Amino acid sequence: MDAPPPPPPESSPTAVTAAANVADDPLTSPYASMNSYCHDLSALQDLACRGAWRTIVDKVARSRSLSLLSKPHEHLIYLTFNLLSLVKLRRYPDAQQELRTLDDDLDSKQYLYDSYPDHYPNHKSGSMVPFALRWLHAHLPFTLGDRQLALDRLYTLLHFIRDKKLSRNLDSTSEVSLTLWKKREQFVVNTIISHHLSQKEFKVCLSLLRAEISKNEDPLLVSKLGYVQMQYGDLDGAKRSFEVVEKMVMGSDSENVELKNLLSRNKALKYLVGKDYVSAVREYEECIERDGSDVVAINNKALCLMYLRDLSDSIKVLESALERVPTVALNETIVVNLCSMYELAHVNHADIKKTLSTWIARVAPDDFDNSCTRI
Amino acid sequence: MSGAGGGAQQAVHSLAFRVMRLCRPTLHVDTAPLKFDPCDILFGEDLFDDPIAASHLPRLLSSQSNTSVSDPSDLSYRSRFLLHHPTDSLGFPGLLVLPQAFGAIYLGETFCSYISINNSSNFEVRDVIIKAEIQTERQRIVLLDTSKTPVESIRAGGRYDFIVEHDVKELGAHTLVCTALYSDGDSERKYLPQFFKFIVSNPLSVRTKVRNVKETTFLEACIENHTKANLYMDQVEFEPAQHWSVTALKTADHALEHNLLMGETFKEPVLIRSGGGIYNYLYELKFSSPHSGQVKVEGSNILGKLQITWRTNLGEPGRLQTQHIVGNPITRKEIELDAVEIPPSIILDKPFLVSLKLINLTERVLGPFEVWLSESDLLNEKAVMVNGLQTMTLGEAQAFSSLKFQLNLIATKHGIQKISGITVFDTVEKKTYSSLLELEAICRYMWTHSD
Repeated sequence: MDAPPPPPPESSPTAVTAAANVADDPLTSPYASMNSYCHDLSALQDLACRGAWRTIVDKVARSRSLSLLSKPHEHLIYLTFNLLSLVKLRRYPDAQQELRTLDDDLDSKQYLYDSYPDHYPNHKSGSMVPFALRWLHAHLPFTLGDRQLALDRLYTLLHFIRDKKLSRNLDSTSEVSLTLWKKREQFVVNTIISHHLSQKEFKVCLSLLRAEISKNEDPLLVSKLGYVQMQYGDLDGAKRSFEVVEKMVMGSDSENVELKNLLSRNKALKYLVGKDYVSAVREYEECIERDGSDVVAINNKALCLMYLRDLSDSIKVLESALERVPTVALNETIVVNLCSMYELAHVNHADIKKTLSTWIARVAPDDFDNSCTRI
Repeated sequence: MSGAGGGAQQAVHSLAFRVMRLCRPTLHVDTAPLKFDPCDILFGEDLFDDPIAASHLPRLLSSQSNTSVSDPSDLSYRSRFLLHHPTDSLGFPGLLVLPQAFGAIYLGETFCSYISINNSSNFEVRDVIIKAEIQTERQRIVLLDTSKTPVESIRAGGRYDFIVEHDVKELGAHTLVCTALYSDGDSERKYLPQFFKFIVSNPLSVRTKVRNVKETTFLEACIENHTKANLYMDQVEFEPAQHWSVTALKTADHALEHNLLMGETFKEPVLIRSGGGIYNYLYELKFSSPHSGQVKVEGSNILGKLQITWRTNLGEPGRLQTQHIVGNPITRKEIELDAVEIPPSIILDKPFLVSLKLINLTERVLGPFEVWLSESDLLNEKAVMVNGLQTMTLGEAQAFSSLKFQLNLIATKHGIQKISGITVFDTVEKKTYSSLLELEAICRYMWTHSD
């Protein structure tokens, strides 16, 4: 299937022209609500927020078989949700199949609003491809084992954004649109940095991050630079980066809990690399008191306790977080740490890991990767 | 990656050792957190080029329940789907992960381990004497010994933990031996040994080259990384031997950028790639003797040592120093030959005199000497030859003094010619000194030809 199917014969020409005439009438405008814009879209979004990816795959299949989707953009949005769900569920070959139903060229005419004047009268020309679809198209080869192709596609996507979208002036586009494209540029750069970071190509990461920081002086970005430096061992460099973050935050909103916790967590890392685990624990406890669902602080505090020879308490910290704030604490990394602690603490760790695994199965979203329990 | 290890397990033990290598943690990287901005999924990428659509965007988005990601009353997993902050897409939140495998261990690193003794029986155990030792081919190092203060009791289901550290200074097989001597539920004294083996490898190799250029000695050191990790070279310093001074020569940093925000001039970190990456260091060494005029001591020439400190994840350090690095052997100069006078112009085929001075640099009498011009290596006849007796005899030269003499030479080719191969032979010590001096002279035809 190449192009989205034509609208079902039920939609009469009069309905379409009516839409054309009252495009901005709040009662009949396609933008009156999420669902008027796209069939049952709020349900899809709700399912995604709940991590019910299997349900989404079923829903998309049903909507297609019952021909519930009438407009081309609806098909694309449903396809995007389907593709994302399959990737979240780690069903990569199925995801590739889904992607194959599209034209190789996402810039093809069939994905433009003005190719369907009946559906989108008076609509400005442009692409109806959701940006996430482009990103998923670039990302998918990595999931199938071809990291290099994925990186190539990501760099191509970056150039596409810079050359085709960001270079326009405000006559041909809106400010809302330009802002969105700037965010998308950052999104793609971050994905690229993430790839290089997991391959331990630190110098590339440093250079890309520094370029980002010069465009956008964000304390979180500078903190990430510090984390990269710590990761390969440049402790002095990391300390200097954290000092810059402190200077940046000092002027701004002093009541912002997130920024306060960021500073505390950075300080805790400095103590930790200096092997002063007691002070690190103290910093993390301050974070947790300010924000009980700061899982980074909770996780890192547990590790510090372990390095302080207190395995029992480190286990308790993680277990209690899972109980107390499961929707943020149920994270593969935290489970990996907890299972490592179980393996150390118990000769017969299989039992306790099974208990954990059973609990996870009840509570976890569809995309949770159970292999982290190493059962 | 916790281990139970090997050991004599004939008896049923109430206690068991669990061991986990505790090198520094790493920061977790999630290559694709799969978190998105809702605009990128719900809407066509160019939808908001359309002004009507753009005007509806804020309302449409806020109609979604937009509670904060960290709202405890929000029981959804939206934090796994939606970006809370743009930097979330880096997948690098600063979450620490425990080491997941024993990994490789290298000379110069510190072996650190968490050791937990579990009492998995239903009875209390008492008077527990715990020992932890590292055994290598050469030695036994005690890391922990509670003989003097035994652990009074470990209750049923209880645990006694300790962390041991050991700076690894030997290569090859190492064994961590953990033993527990305890009284079990029947007051029987039991002995539990457990062994955990690991191998220590060489992380680096250092190749050096020494070159002498006049009074300066240059030392090139090439460090090669044999480990499985990228090594951050925190400090590489040359410690010179006595009487030597050192300057590290660094390349001009081409990529020096001064970033106003970062307030510093960024220097590229020295990171040596895993599995064979190399980095070169260059040092300039100067010998400064405390006694003026004294030349370098004869014999083997120790320049100094290289001290290397590297770091890996979260600053995990490793330290090594090389053995003594030796320079080129210095032989003390015994005699020197200087030109005193050369005629300004020499006429072809006409004999001329060159005045030379032989200086005795030693504290003993040298000579008598013989002086000649050695045979040319080239097939062509030498341009400048001795006129007359080919070998000249000179007397003795006293300690720290000189002998003046003249060589009677003749030029057979015109143009700028070298007077080379002047050889001095000490007839008593039977030592030959060649290549002490090379001269140049302009040889003209008798009638002045402007060439």
